[in-house]
Formats: sequence, C-alpha cells, structure tokens
Amino acid sequence: MVLNIPYSVKTPHGIKEAAEICLKCGVCCVIEGYSCPAQYDAQFKPTQTYVYDCLGHEEPSGNKNIWQCVSCHKCEEMCPYEVSPVDFIEAMKEQALQGGHAPQSIIGELMQVITTGYAFPITPNTTRQRERLGLEPVKLNHELGIIAEKTGLLELLNSLKEAQD
Amino acid sequence: MRYSFFKGCFIPIRQPHIEKLAHKILPELGVELDTVTGFTCCPEPMGVSLPHKFTGTVISARNLAIAEEKDNDIITLCNGCTYTLKQVNLQLKQDTELRDKVNEVLAETDHQFKGTIKVRHFAKVLSEDIGLEIIRGKVEKPLKGLKVASHTGCHILSPPEVMEFDDPLNPVRLDGMIKALGAEPLDYSYKTQCCGWTLSNFGDRASANRLLGDKLRGMYDAGADSVNVICPQCLAQLDTGQMMAGRALKLDFKLPALFYVQYLALAMGYSLEEVGYGSHRVKDSGFEAKIGGILA
Ligand code: SF4
Ligand code: SF4
Repeated sequence: MVLNIPYSVKTPHGIKEAAEICLKCGVCCVIEGYSCPAQYDAQFKPTQTYVYDCLGHEEPSGNKNIWQCVSCHKCEEMCPYEVSPVDFIEAMKEQALQGGHAPQSIIGELMQVITTGYAFPITPNTTRQRERLGLEPVKLNHELGIIAEKTGLLELLNSLKEAQD
Repeated sequence: MRYSFFKGCFIPIRQPHIEKLAHKILPELGVELDTVTGFTCCPEPMGVSLPHKFTGTVISARNLAIAEEKDNDIITLCNGCTYTLKQVNLQLKQDTELRDKVNEVLAETDHQFKGTIKVRHFAKVLSEDIGLEIIRGKVEKPLKGLKVASHTGCHILSPPEVMEFDDPLNPVRLDGMIKALGAEPLDYSYKTQCCGWTLSNFGDRASANRLLGDKLRGMYDAGADSVNVICPQCLAQLDTGQMMAGRALKLDFKLPALFYVQYLALAMGYSLEEVGYGSHRVKDSGFEAKIGGILA
C-alpha cells in the first residue's frame, strides 16, 4: 500500500501544505552503505523500514523515532520517486516541540543554548584543557536569551517545563 | 586571505587541541584567522534549529551579522556549523520578507543581517581558495606509504546545491587533499555512510555501534592505517565512538582518527605530540611506527 501523507509545515510566511507520496519501494533504507543510518536500529526491518515508520505513524509528531533522523538527506537522494522523507520528519520535529512531545535531551539543549550561547556544557575539563593549551576561556553569551524571548521559544520552553512539574 | 574564525561549540569545548592547531597551521598556508568575540553556537541543527526553526534562523543570522560587521567571510572547522550557517545565509539573501522579520528580532541585540559575506568550510578554503599546489609546496615530510580512509560526513555533502562541496554519492575532495600530502587515499565500502553521531546521541547506542563497526570494517578491509575527518562530531564518533564500538563488537583492529589539519601539520614536520594525538582515545602502534618512519 502506497503511503500518501499530507502534512503542514510551519514556515516564516505561514503554514504551507505539503505531501509525500511514498511507493514503499524500500530503496531509501535497504541499500546497505548508502541509505538511511537510522535503519540500523534493530526494530526496523527491510519490510518495515525506518522511513515507513516515520511516514506511516498514526501520530507522527509523537513518534519518538523521528529524533533518530540525522537530516543526512540520504533518503531524498536515494529515492527514485522524488519523495523527501527528511522534509516530513523535520516538519514533525517542529510540531513535536510545540505539542510537548520533544524528548528531554532536546529541551535541555535548547535551554543550554539560549542561556549560555553553546550547545554543549562547559565542564571543568574544558577549562583545564584550554588552560593547559594556553587558550582563552570560553565566554558565555546571554544575547540568545533576548532572541528566544522575542521569538516565543522561551515562553514555550517555560510552559513545557510547567506542564511537566 | 583573512577570515572570521567561527570555532563553533564542540571544538572549543571538547577538542580545543584542534582549535590550537588550526591557529598555528592555517596562517602558515596564508589563511589568516581573525578571532571574533560574540559568536555563539551556529546553532546546532539537530537539537536547536530543527525543533524551533525561526529561533535557529535568528541565532544564525546574528552570527552572520557579526561577521559582516568585520567584513570578512566566515571560516568554520565543522560540517554542522557550515550546514546551518550556509543554509540561513542563502535563505536570508533570497527571501527579503523573512530577512525583515529576522532583523526585527535582531534589532534587540543591535545587529542586522545584510547578506554581504560567505560561509566557508576550512577544507574548501584549503582546496580552493589556497589550492592543492600551495599545500604540496608546504609539505616537508610527505606521508609516503600512509593509507588514509577519508570520511567526509553527511552535512557538508547534502543538500549538494547548497553545500557545494562534493558529490554525496561519490565524494572525492578529501582524497585529493590527502594525496597532496603524499599519503594514499582509499576508496572503501560505506564511504558515504554517516558516522552515527546523532544515532548514538538521540537513538540507541547499540545501533550506532553496528553502523560504525560496518564503516570501520570497510576502511580496514581496504587497508587503512588511519581515518581522516573534517568535522568535530565525526572525530568524536570515529575516536571515542570507535573505542566504545570496538569494545562492544570486539573489533580486532584500531584505526586512529585524525582531523585533516593534523595530517597537514604532520606533513609539515610537526610531531604526533605537537598535533595533539595524545588527547585521542584510539591509538595504534602500527600507525605510530609509520609516522615515526616518515618524520625520522
Ligand atoms: S535524512 Fe533522516 S530519514 Fe533520511 S536517510 Fe537521513 S536519517 Fe534517514
Ligand atoms: S525510496 Fe522513496 S518511494 Fe521508496 S520507500 Fe523510500 S521514500 Fe518511499
């Protein structure tokens, strides 16, 4: 059965309607060495691929498997029918955050970036190594918090946190 | 040639030896690095720009605007930073309506995106702006006999029309750069496959190990002494990740992974210690002996 998936994408110019029509040929996931890296998860099979799982899920933005997608674009490049599973998955990630389905690791990373300016925590080991190499310490930046406040991200993260507490 | 040095997060925080070496080596090839204060995370595509695209776009635009104020193109050491910044730069240059929206937010931080600079990955700068001829001319100790499997990485390859780096299904740019140092580049199975970084962080470790195991086996079977990378996450995965996958899968070989700048420095006569090999997890005596012979 063909997967015909209409979906909406949030763009800066409003909501855009899109669709992916997958013929379930499997090429994007079964050509070893060239296709989807997420297919390595043992829950996926040649007949039940990672891409089918993402496209065919009944609540796609609540499917935690979408977070395994690395946006490598291999599916799009391998697909003989010009389907772009990556576009769909990326749109679902944005919906997942809005809908409170994003994993803690993602929420933590977003918070980390807007409060420090960096996606990875600065550890005592960082400081030690930089000192040893004679490099300046990493400087924290707080301007991203101002941006996140303006774009609504900060409010969203706070409400997600509240809902969780 | 002068560039604004965009270090990103991962290198300064986890791999400062690469930052240090880039500062030392790149100017010797005519790549002047301007240290810029105020740059932040690009932001990281998987955890930040995808879940909240607009915020991601504004954060990237802020970084680009800071580089514009310095009037130099950006040079990066990371596939992810290049992927994020190049896409936003292109999008904002083309879409004036989006640019206005972004600039409205950016005004709060006293920056404005104008669209006057380019974003360049260091591997592209070295192979195009500087050129392989100049690189060959700097080689004091040709890495003769060293067989190197290059891993280009996903985000510098795709989408190719934006990244303009190499053919995603047959990447060869790094092979040419390795050859310029006198080493032997290798073709191998799983050459275009992902390193598995995202899978190991947002998916499950065991699948990432199997993915990496297949890739490493492909390199080893092709005769590799070592691996060449141009991205800090790929380096972490092929180094620390290799150590973990090696244990889990009981691999009977080790392939030290080095950043291209480290190979370049070795070929210019620097020692393994000077290029920071000591801080890597995967070490191999066969590789060390070969380098020892070359540098002797
Ligand atoms: S972009 Fe995502 S779905 Fe497509 S091949 Fe890569 S990991 Fe798989
Ligand atoms: S290659 Fe294209 S048509 Fe085939 S399964 Fe993948 S997305 Fe569907």
